[in-house]
Amino acid sequence: MDRRAFLTTVAAGWMVDTILPGKAPIAGRIIGASHGVGHLVRDGGAPTPSGPPDRADVVIVGAGIAGLSAAWRLAPAGLDVRVLELEQFLGGTSTWGDDGAAPHPWGAHYLAAPNPEARAALRLLEQMGVVKGWDAAGRPRFDPRVLCHAPQERIFYRGAWHPGLVPQDELDAHDRAEMERFSRFEDELTERVGADGKPVFQIPLAFSSRDPDTLALDRISMRAWLDREGYTSPFLRWYVRYACLDDFGAEPEEVSAWAALHYFAGRKLKTPELDGSHFLVWPEGNGKLVQALSERARATVTHGALVTGLVAIEGGRVEVRWLDVRDRAPRRTHARAVVVAAPAFVTRRLFPSAAARLPTRTSSPWIVANMHVERPIDPDMAWDSVLYDAAGLGYVDARHQLTELSARTVLTYYRAYGGPDVVGARKGLVVAPWEQIANDVLRDLAPAHPELREQITRMDVCVWGHAMPRPRPGFLGEQPFEPLVLLDERVAWAHADQPGMALFEESQASGVRAAEALAPALGIALGSTWL
Amino acid sequence: MPQPQLPRRWVHPALLAMVAVIATSGLVYELVTGTLASYVLGDSVTQFSLVIGLYLFAMGIGSYLSKFLEDRLLERFVEIELCLALAGGLSAPLLFKVYTAAAAFRFALYGVVVLVGTLVGLEIPLLIRLLQFSVDLKELVARVLTLDYVGALIASLLFPSLLLPKLGVHQTSLFFGLLNAAVAMLATFLFPLDRAVTIRLRAQCLLIFGVLAAVFGFVTRFVDRAETVYFGAPILYTAQSPYQRVVITRSPRTTRLFLNGNLQFSSDDEQRYHEVLVHPAVAALGRDPRSVLVLGGGDGLAARELLRYPSIERIVLIDLDAAVTDAFRTLPVALELNGGALNDPRVTVRNEDAYKFLEDSRDSFDLAIVDFPDPSNYAVGKLYTDAFYHLLRERLSFRGVAVVQATSPQYARESFWTIVQTLESAGWKTAPLHVYVPSFGDWGFVLAGGEELAAPGALRIEPTKLRWLESSGLPELFRFPRDIGRVEAPVNRLNDQKLVATYAREWGVFTR
Repeated sequence: MDRRAFLTTVAAGWMVDTILPGKAPIAGRIIGASHGVGHLVRDGGAPTPSGPPDRADVVIVGAGIAGLSAAWRLAPAGLDVRVLELEQFLGGTSTWGDDGAAPHPWGAHYLAAPNPEARAALRLLEQMGVVKGWDAAGRPRFDPRVLCHAPQERIFYRGAWHPGLVPQDELDAHDRAEMERFSRFEDELTERVGADGKPVFQIPLAFSSRDPDTLALDRISMRAWLDREGYTSPFLRWYVRYACLDDFGAEPEEVSAWAALHYFAGRKLKTPELDGSHFLVWPEGNGKLVQALSERARATVTHGALVTGLVAIEGGRVEVRWLDVRDRAPRRTHARAVVVAAPAFVTRRLFPSAAARLPTRTSSPWIVANMHVERPIDPDMAWDSVLYDAAGLGYVDARHQLTELSARTVLTYYRAYGGPDVVGARKGLVVAPWEQIANDVLRDLAPAHPELREQITRMDVCVWGHAMPRPRPGFLGEQPFEPLVLLDERVAWAHADQPGMALFEESQASGVRAAEALAPALGIALGSTWL
Repeated sequence: MPQPQLPRRWVHPALLAMVAVIATSGLVYELVTGTLASYVLGDSVTQFSLVIGLYLFAMGIGSYLSKFLEDRLLERFVEIELCLALAGGLSAPLLFKVYTAAAAFRFALYGVVVLVGTLVGLEIPLLIRLLQFSVDLKELVARVLTLDYVGALIASLLFPSLLLPKLGVHQTSLFFGLLNAAVAMLATFLFPLDRAVTIRLRAQCLLIFGVLAAVFGFVTRFVDRAETVYFGAPILYTAQSPYQRVVITRSPRTTRLFLNGNLQFSSDDEQRYHEVLVHPAVAALGRDPRSVLVLGGGDGLAARELLRYPSIERIVLIDLDAAVTDAFRTLPVALELNGGALNDPRVTVRNEDAYKFLEDSRDSFDLAIVDFPDPSNYAVGKLYTDAFYHLLRERLSFRGVAVVQATSPQYARESFWTIVQTLESAGWKTAPLHVYVPSFGDWGFVLAGGEELAAPGALRIEPTKLRWLESSGLPELFRFPRDIGRVEAPVNRLNDQKLVATYAREWGVFTR
């Protein structure tokens, strides 16, 4: 079997189809985050609950990575853990879709092979069977089926696709020289150790060096850093911008140079098995990790639960007030401890007494579009297809990691709104009709796929108003790497807003840390730390 | 009722041209069916001899039957001409269709030969009778028969030199069908017929002309004559599956299978390939195999070799493409080659992805025959990775043995040793071997097993049951001369698939 011939044939079949009259226009809808309901909290429209309260040992507010990780950490204790989640799905921005030719991501779509220091992540991966064992040097060995299969990436540059993210043969001498210089710097930085003996960049970031020279990078933007270092190549600057948008949803001028360089130099794991790719990829993206966490969490999840406030009450308990969004009925649950696994701006409203201690974060809006393809649009598909100088970040192919051939697949398109006016961008997206967003997506991909409208049968769109925290210059704060965990004795906070960077390892560690911090209040022993 | 007759002393030159065309087309149909018979059934001497004999005999039947036609001879002549246009014109496409659809080819073939022969046999006597009042008998017979034999000469010269190479069998038969229909139409202008009859006959002419032209258009579009040139032999069978284009060609001596234009086997020397694929692995197993897994090998030729071992109770054959396994379960030429191996009750054929099968299966096998197409793209390349070989190990019983088709160590030396290296990295002990297959060149395989694996010293089968391999030849298979000897090679992993690039470079075929 020859994939190219196979695809070409099927494409020919498609051409026969399209000349037939009556081809239906593509279908689609906007799915996802409940902006309207969520804003009830912002607008202070929640009534006070009455009636008898439920009881639980622990309430976790939010079923994203941080909340589910807290539940996962608490599972061995056998407590009654209740998760209150506004949305009808699990995982927050790591959620996934199950309809169509393959499960597909609705948000985060890969996990780079975690550093040995990201012990909680590796523990989970070992439970999942993704980490098969450990080599003599203590490095994890991964199931090769999960590492991103070849070919991983391709870029549409000057009218043609090229393998990889850098079209080496197409670049001019200046671009190439600066890319080489940056790449050498990246390698050197990955190995660099601060005066305190720690790597300058580590994941989780709390293990990074506190060397003031490196921390000074947090005071300038990545754009300023590029200017300062004399990087002028248009391709290099696009490349760095792509990375900033991809990881933080923000333009280089909106990203701390420390954060951006952390992205390039934070991954330390090097083994022969990881030479080809160190990305762990599942068809549904990080939805696989969400499933793994929730399967092991032993918690009851209530969907459609909008938490409106937390109040300390007598008997060492916390009253969690929430709204059942189906009937708008106010409810309350009394818990011995609470993990607020929500962004800082939500947490501030739920627990005003801690407001001043919570960091101020700006969150980036994103759109994710899932395009259903019944016949392959391109014989040379890679996992990730990137268009140079496009508005969006390109798309990933959900079936890429599946070993079976199939004509049908789902392509997941991403676009971050990375400019400084996040509020304006968010408002525009929330009111935009499906047709407008779908047209924008098609137009953005048109240079590489002019026929896309005819090639897809459905495009569903998700608008993430608050997709991820933006590590702006100064995000590390006055006391870097000293996360705020306990808001009071019985309330802990867990979220990617805590480190200020939306990485799976960070969110997961923050959930685990919150759970472990509540052990004394719960009067339980959780054993040694999983961090 | 007075019959319309041709006027006395009237012999239109067009009428004589008609005789020549009729004669030529009659012989062309005979040659077309003869050619098809030898393609499909092989043994061309027998087939041509049978077709010619039967055809001449059928002409005799036609001549005899002509005496029963008494009324309206002009009209009948045109009608017979039209029947011939249809039967002869459609003969080749029809026989091809029958061949690929059923095994009743022989009956269809001889039926068509008899029908066309009978119709041709009717024509000449009828024509002579029509002209009998116009010309003296001696003159008439001389002219008509001369033209008849000249037409035969024209046909026999044109057919091999021009028609078959340029038009192919389908278009040739259809082209002469169209000519016959044109002759019939011409006759309606030449013959003095009733107005009503003329109109009816012309309408029939147009209808049949239309049918033949439509089939001609269809055949031209869907049967690529260029392919015949490309494959170097007449195409016997083609199928387009969702995965690949399957082509079986047959010249009088040789049957070949092509997948996407790549030769998979040639019946001339496939025994070398398949005997070396199967028998050393059985010998290395060191015990009687009972259950065997075949991955790929949808042609059933490896299964044929395996079925020579009475100890084998079960063969599970996994081939993605039903178009291949169906063809090799039903086509006579395929059954001739694989001895009906795929229909054997011990063989279970499953059309699924081999990777998926290994992931899902809980079965255990003594022997695994891994015979995939070469790793020319990333989709097939996945079946040559360490992850795949790890899965394969889990499917083998204690001290089980696998053998892997591993491309040519001569043309793709590093590719071959990459496969060896990859198997070893997945925990297998290996014993590489190779054989010279004239159609392919020097071809490589890898035996893989546990620690105890060693190159076998003797076959576990009587050499008389095989066509090529014998025990004394075994050591030579495992000896790698310096120019194809081991080179340093990487492990082929899912996340890099270095083998795909190496293979493309070594074969000089760039798939991207």
